[in-house]
Amino acid sequence: MPSTFGGFELAKRALFAQQAAMTTTGHNIANASTKGFSRQIVHMVAARPMEAPGMSRSNAPGMMGQGVEFDTIQRVRDSFLDDQFASENKYYGEWTMRRQTLDKIEIIMSESADSGLSNTFEAFWNSWQELSKEPDKLTSRTVIVERALTMTNALNHISQQLTNYASDMNENVRVKTGELNRYVANIANLNEQIFRVEGLSQNANDLRDQRDLLVDELSRLVNVAVQRTPNGYNITMGNVSLVNRYTAGGPFDEALLLDAYNEKDLKSGELYGMLLGKQETIPEYQKQLDTMVKAMVEGEMQVTLPAGSMLPEGTILNGVTYTGANRMLPNDLQVTVKGINGLHRLGYTLDPTLTQGNDFFTLREGFTAFSAASITVNPVIASNPKQVASSMRTTTVGTTEKTISGNGDLARLIAGVRNEKIQFETTGTGEALQSDETLDGFYRALIGNIGVRGQEAIRQSDIQKVIIEQVDGRRQSISGVSLDEEMSGLIKFQHAYNAAARLMTTYDEMLDKLINGMGTVGR
Amino acid sequence: MVGRVTQAMVQTRFLQNMSNNLKRIDEQQQQLASGRKVNTTSDDPISFTYAMRYSQEIAQNEQYQRNIDTANSWLEFSDTMLIQTTDVIHRARELAIQGKSDTTSQESLNALKSEVDQLYEQLVRIGNSELNGNYIFNGQSTMAEPYTLIQAPQQSTDALEMRFEVNINVTMPISVTGNRVFGNPTDADNLFRILKDFSKALETGDRTALDGIVNKLSSRLDEVLYARSSVGARINRLEMTQQRLEDLSINLQQLQSKTEDADIAEVVMQLKMSENVYQASLAVGARIIRSSLIDFMR
Repeated sequence: MPSTFGGFELAKRALFAQQAAMTTTGHNIANASTKGFSRQIVHMVAARPMEAPGMSRSNAPGMMGQGVEFDTIQRVRDSFLDDQFASENKYYGEWTMRRQTLDKIEIIMSESADSGLSNTFEAFWNSWQELSKEPDKLTSRTVIVERALTMTNALNHISQQLTNYASDMNENVRVKTGELNRYVANIANLNEQIFRVEGLSQNANDLRDQRDLLVDELSRLVNVAVQRTPNGYNITMGNVSLVNRYTAGGPFDEALLLDAYNEKDLKSGELYGMLLGKQETIPEYQKQLDTMVKAMVEGEMQVTLPAGSMLPEGTILNGVTYTGANRMLPNDLQVTVKGINGLHRLGYTLDPTLTQGNDFFTLREGFTAFSAASITVNPVIASNPKQVASSMRTTTVGTTEKTISGNGDLARLIAGVRNEKIQFETTGTGEALQSDETLDGFYRALIGNIGVRGQEAIRQSDIQKVIIEQVDGRRQSISGVSLDEEMSGLIKFQHAYNAAARLMTTYDEMLDKLINGMGTVGR
Repeated sequence: MVGRVTQAMVQTRFLQNMSNNLKRIDEQQQQLASGRKVNTTSDDPISFTYAMRYSQEIAQNEQYQRNIDTANSWLEFSDTMLIQTTDVIHRARELAIQGKSDTTSQESLNALKSEVDQLYEQLVRIGNSELNGNYIFNGQSTMAEPYTLIQAPQQSTDALEMRFEVNINVTMPISVTGNRVFGNPTDADNLFRILKDFSKALETGDRTALDGIVNKLSSRLDEVLYARSSVGARINRLEMTQQRLEDLSINLQQLQSKTEDADIAEVVMQLKMSENVYQASLAVGARIIRSSLIDFMR
C-alpha cells in the first residue's frame, strides 16, 4: 500500500538530487580554469523501491519506484595518466635544465659572434707571422704581447664565467630545494586531511585534486614513484622516502640532494638537471678548455728546426744536450718540443746582449698548473716586448756572441704551432676530446661537442614537451571541464528540477482534492 | 586526440600551435636579419664547425697573402737594386775597355778613375740599400749596415737569406745576400775589389791589368744576372702561390657561404608562408575560442 504522502517524499528527493547536480555543475563551471581541477559528477541512483519482502507484504504489483537518491560526488580522474604524466614530466624538467646549461655555456663561449675565442687565437697566430717578417722591429713584438694578452684574458674570462655559472647554479638548486620541501610537506599534510575526510566515507575530491597537482609539480623537480594506498600517497625518489603517509621526508638541503645524486637515487627532474650541469657538464668543458691551454703551452709536438740555428747553451732536445760547437745545427732537425713555452726557449730575444727566450706563458698568482684560468703572458715579456724571442741564429763579433736579430725562424715556428698536431692530455680524470690534433681542430671539436649536446638537449626537451602536452591532453579529455557539457547538463538538471517541482504541485492538488474536495456529499 | 574535448583543451592546443607558428616566424626572421642560417652552434653543430674551419683557413690564407705582398716588395726592390748593379758593371766594363786603348792619355785615365771611384761609391750605396729600415743585402742581419766605403772589399754579409712563410710549412727566401751579388771577400771577382783594383790600375796607368779586370767584371756580371734570374723566378713562384691562395680563398668563401648563409629568397618565401599560417591560425582561433553553447542559449 503506498503511503498518502509518499509522493511528496519522492518529489523532494528528486528536487534535492537535481539541486545537488546543479550545485556541482556550478562548481565545475566555476573551476573550469582551475589548475589541476577534475570535473565532478553527482552519482545518482534510483532509490530503493518499496515493498520489503515479508509476510505482510501487500499484493499490489511492484516494485514501486521511490525516485532518486545521490550517494556520492565523484571526481572523474584516471590515475594511470597521472603516473604517466609524472614519469614524463621529470624528463621534461631534466632536459629543460640541460638545455639551459648548454645554452648558457654556448653563450659564454659565444663562438657564434665574430668575437669568439677562435678570433683571438687567429689574431695571436697571425701576429707571430707578422713578427717573422720583421723580427728586428719592436712594433710587431708589442702587437704579439697585446694579442697574447687578449687571448689569455679571454681564456681567463671564459673560465671565470663558467665557474660563476656553476656557483649561480647553487643558488638555483637552493630555491628549487625549497620548493621540493614545500611540496613534500603539503602532500603529507593533505594525506592526513584526506584520510580524515574519507574516514567518514566521503570523497575528498578537491583535496585529492590539490594533492595530485602537487605531485605533478614535484615530478618536474625530481624523479618520483607514487604508491597510492588507502592511507594516502607514499612517494619515493629512488631509495629516498619523500612522503610516507603523514610524514614528509627531509627537510632536504643541497648536501642531502647531492648525496642522492651521487647514490643515483636522484636521477631525473629539474634538480637532477641542475646538479648534472654543476657537477659534470660545466666541469667537463672547463677541463677540456684547460686541456687545450695546457697542450698549447707545454704539450708535446714535432717541429723542424731549420739548419743554421744556434741552440742556446745546454738545450736538451730528444735526449741530446747541445753545448759548445754542436749547438749549431748543420741540417734541418726534427725534434719534439713542449708547447709554445718549450719553443720560445729555443731562441733569442731582441736584447743587445745574447738572451735566451724565457717561458712565454706563465701562471697567474696562486695557481700551480696551466689551465684556462691560470694562463697569462710572462710579466717579464709583457712589460718588455723586447723579451719576445724570434731569432734562432747568433753571430760572434770578436769574442761576444750576438743575436742575429733579422732571423725570424722562431717566430715562424711558433706561428706554425697552429698547424702542428699536439698531444692533448687531460688535466683531470677522463679523456681529452681529441688526443692527436691541432689546436684549431681541438677547439672546433670542443665547440662542436657543445653544439651537438645542445642540439640534443633542445630536441629532447621539445619532444618531452610534446609528450607531456599529449598526456596532459588525454588527462584533460577525461578530467577537464567542458562548458558545453556543463551547460547542457545544467539545462537537463533544471528541467528535471522543474518537473520534480511540478510533481510536487500535482501531489498537492491531488491531496487538496482528497482532503478539501471530498466528503462533502449532501452538504 | 581522444573523444572528449573541452574548451580549455582547445584553447591550450591553440596557444601551443600559435606559439609554434610564432617561433617559426622568429627563426626565419632571425635568419633574414643575420643573413645566416646557422646562428648558434646548436642550430647545426656540423655546419657550424665546418664554417669555423673555413673561416680559420680563410684568415690564415689572408695572412699568407699579406706575407706574399711583403715578400713581393722585398724581391722587387732587390730586383731594382740588381738592375742598378748590372748598370754599374756595364759602365765599369765600358770604362775598362776605353782605358785599355793605347791612345788614352794619363789625363783621360785620371778622368776615368774619378768615374770608377764614383761607381764604387754607388755600389757601396747599393750594397747598403734599405727597405723599411732593413738592409736587404745583409742576409738576416738586417739591422746592420753590411758595407763601409773603406772596408767594402773585405766585408762579408750574413750568409743566410731572409725567409718568409708563404703557405703552410712552405718558406721562401725573399732576399739575396751581398756575398752572392757582390762576391765573398775571398772571391777573385769581388765586385768591390775589382773596382778598387780598377781605380788603382787607372791611377798607375797599368793598362795590362785592365784585361784581367774586364774578365773579372764579366764573370761577376754572370753572377749578378744569375741572382736576378733567381729573383725573377721567385717573383713568378710567388705570383703563382698568390693566385693559388686567392683561388683557395674564393673556394673557401663559397663553401663557408654555402654552409652558413641563408638563402634569402627561400627564407623570405618560407616567412611569407609562415605569416599566412599564423594569420589563419589567429583568425580561426578568434572564432573558435569565442563561442560556446552559452552563446546560443536564451
